[in-house]
Amino acid sequence: MPRYITWVRAHISTAQRVATSRLVHRFNFGPRPGQYLEMLQRGVEATQTSVLEHGVADPGLNSLPTPSLPNLGPIPAPNASNVSTFWNTLYANQSELVLWWLDRMALADYPLTERMTWFWHGHWATSNSKVFYPLTMQRQNNTLRRYALANFGDMARAMVVDGALNYWLDNEDNYLSSPNENLARELMELMTIGVNNFTQRDVTAAARALTGYSTYQPTGAVTFDAQQHYSKPLTILDKTARYDAQSLASLLVSTDFNAKFITDRMWFRFVSGTTKPPPALEGSFARRDIYALVDSLARSSAWNDPANSLVKSPVEWFIGACRATKVRPSTLTANALQWCLEQMGQVPFNPPNVGGWPYGQAWLSGVAFQYRFEVTELLMTKADLSPISVPKSKMVQACADWLGVPEWSRRTANALDGVSDNPSDFVTLALLSPEYAVSV
Amino acid sequence: MNTCEFDRRRFLQWTGAGLFATLSAQLSLESLASAASASPLASNTPILVIVTLYGGNDGLNTVVPFTDPTYQSARSNIALSSSQLLPFTSTLAFNASIPNISALYAQNKVAIVQGVSYPEPSLSHFSSMAIWQSASLSAEVSTGWIGRWLDLQPHNALNAIGIGSTLPPLMVGEKSVASMVDIGGVQLPWGQAASQIPKLGRTSSSDIPFVAADATSITDLYATAQALGPLLTSSPTGSNINQQLAVVSTLINGNVPTRVWEVNLSSLDTHVSEVGVQNELLAELDGAIGAFMTAISAGSRSNDVTVMIYSEFGRRVMSNAGGGTDHGTSAPVFIIGNGVKGGLYGDQPPLSSLDENGNLQVTTDFRNVYGGLLEGVLGTPVKDIIPSWNTSLSVL
Repeated sequence: MPRYITWVRAHISTAQRVATSRLVHRFNFGPRPGQYLEMLQRGVEATQTSVLEHGVADPGLNSLPTPSLPNLGPIPAPNASNVSTFWNTLYANQSELVLWWLDRMALADYPLTERMTWFWHGHWATSNSKVFYPLTMQRQNNTLRRYALANFGDMARAMVVDGALNYWLDNEDNYLSSPNENLARELMELMTIGVNNFTQRDVTAAARALTGYSTYQPTGAVTFDAQQHYSKPLTILDKTARYDAQSLASLLVSTDFNAKFITDRMWFRFVSGTTKPPPALEGSFARRDIYALVDSLARSSAWNDPANSLVKSPVEWFIGACRATKVRPSTLTANALQWCLEQMGQVPFNPPNVGGWPYGQAWLSGVAFQYRFEVTELLMTKADLSPISVPKSKMVQACADWLGVPEWSRRTANALDGVSDNPSDFVTLALLSPEYAVSV
Repeated sequence: MNTCEFDRRRFLQWTGAGLFATLSAQLSLESLASAASASPLASNTPILVIVTLYGGNDGLNTVVPFTDPTYQSARSNIALSSSQLLPFTSTLAFNASIPNISALYAQNKVAIVQGVSYPEPSLSHFSSMAIWQSASLSAEVSTGWIGRWLDLQPHNALNAIGIGSTLPPLMVGEKSVASMVDIGGVQLPWGQAASQIPKLGRTSSSDIPFVAADATSITDLYATAQALGPLLTSSPTGSNINQQLAVVSTLINGNVPTRVWEVNLSSLDTHVSEVGVQNELLAELDGAIGAFMTAISAGSRSNDVTVMIYSEFGRRVMSNAGGGTDHGTSAPVFIIGNGVKGGLYGDQPPLSSLDENGNLQVTTDFRNVYGGLLEGVLGTPVKDIIPSWNTSLSVL
């Protein structure tokens, strides 16, 4: 055993173990083998810096080429000769895209970008269930990744003309003669300024600002037709101007509501649903610099407040387990994995509605546990369990240090002791424990 | 305007108030499981089945004021034609996609409560559904109405059951939450590790709330498996909502001690191409309700069961050029059962007198509907669940 492990165990407080566990799980999907102990040794400040690393070449992703998905063209008629090829290809592409993204989350050496892309996917929640075309969803995913830690105004201006989002929220059918309010309302309520900060009149006007855009569903290409666009002045949030999609996005992003809304959403998803962000945090988003906000969040004192526990969503729980056990998701039985994620209610590219993923206790049902167990069965077929190849008396602690669990409850330690003869059962129980399901 | 710390979107995503560590700490797996199998629901105990329609079901194309000239003129591209209607009064018709509900209505088993919503209805899916599920207009209330009812009962994993995997907010209380059951049935862990897994469900007073909630869900899984597993021997078929209701009817007929059930149907947010989409979804719902009532009638509980069907809002009176409708306000709520006094309740909001956004007026407050169900089905005074609310609409 390296000497520093002994040192860490003797000198590190529970509070530091909690803060470090929170940082690595919430910003980096959980530690790789050995990483948690290293972080404990280096201290919280160094850990904050470490989880924030991004924007450099990521060797972990070298072996993972981006899928080159075909343009499948229009959906064939039900009796067309190519209809089964079309749907088979489409479903295969969908599955390929899901597994590719899960692989990226699991394999990244600097996971912050993927973690943020995942957050933004829930924020601009768009579902394959209606968009259908994986190529169109991939295009959106690339946009979210490009701006994941960049300027929120740039992200909003790109997303407001994103094909998948436009199709999902019916902007396709937003006509000059008769506005369709779907995109306008959700853009304001869920994506930029928050509910109660606009009126129905603002929705109607914003819908007009969004006329003239059409989406080619198979590729997500969006084109603008000035003839079909409402070109007269509109009054939105008391500001009168001629608007198009991008200037509407700029207007919404420029409001104080936007700073508060995005700060609140980040806090809610990364820190807690029961405590409030400190007022100063909003200031770090003054220039709409997403990275500045994430940086302030990671370096805040939130990690010391015992109240700031979160439930890992099914994908976050699964990716954490993959990173710890060195499993590449796409090597697991794909149908079984996707079935389990579907039953748990969280398949990437398929959020339940425009409001995004559920949160907190919603994930903690007996049914979810049932499928977490099935996922661990899949994982154990590929898992590297060497981190617990230690004398039996040290297995329980070694496992906590490996998985980034601050400390086991007596309940879990007791259950683990009961299976110390079998590493695979041991790790199964650890991954299924309440202390691992929750970022405590 | 003021933004609340917990906006309504959060409420729906959150369902996280349940701070029930102390209560659940006293429970053991053995006591729960034996209570479940040894205590079948007493005969004649009323049962509530809640059907949530997510997305905002268009009430005007469900119960159709087909003789009103405004219906035809405001909805020229989506107005249902006479072949798509099943008239039941001189002015109202069911959408022909719901023949089973129409037939049950003819047997006086369907109460249609008209114009249901709340003051100043929100046009946000998430705000409005949060109001319906919390039964509160205040964004500060983070418990669901059935969750608060659960809080008043002695804890039992089987008091209320939702079908699916993620907990619906209406079934989350301060101390208790409903159990969930999947349409695939209850499958306990297997293999050698399985013998130790029940230990993970033990709670302790030092657990933080989410950890206690997770441990409790593990224990409750074993309790539900013991009570329900033997009953769920065959896989349901048909549409998803049909499968959900088939699980419910099987378990009701199996006398499990559950007072409240929840199932749901999504995708009713028909901003475009409404007629095709809504008719298909309504037909799935109607088929499922028909099969459910038939199944219940074959068992001993047919007079005990009351079904409520609701959505977060209805839709705009005027259709849009895409053949759809934008978010609206009031809509009918259906209450179905052998013990229901069928007929129309409340007033149909006039199409000639709309609010400033072109939406229907509200003629019945949904809390009165809940009041009738709380008092008539669950035997609980409405004010115990909805503070300072004293009125209720009885259809039983």
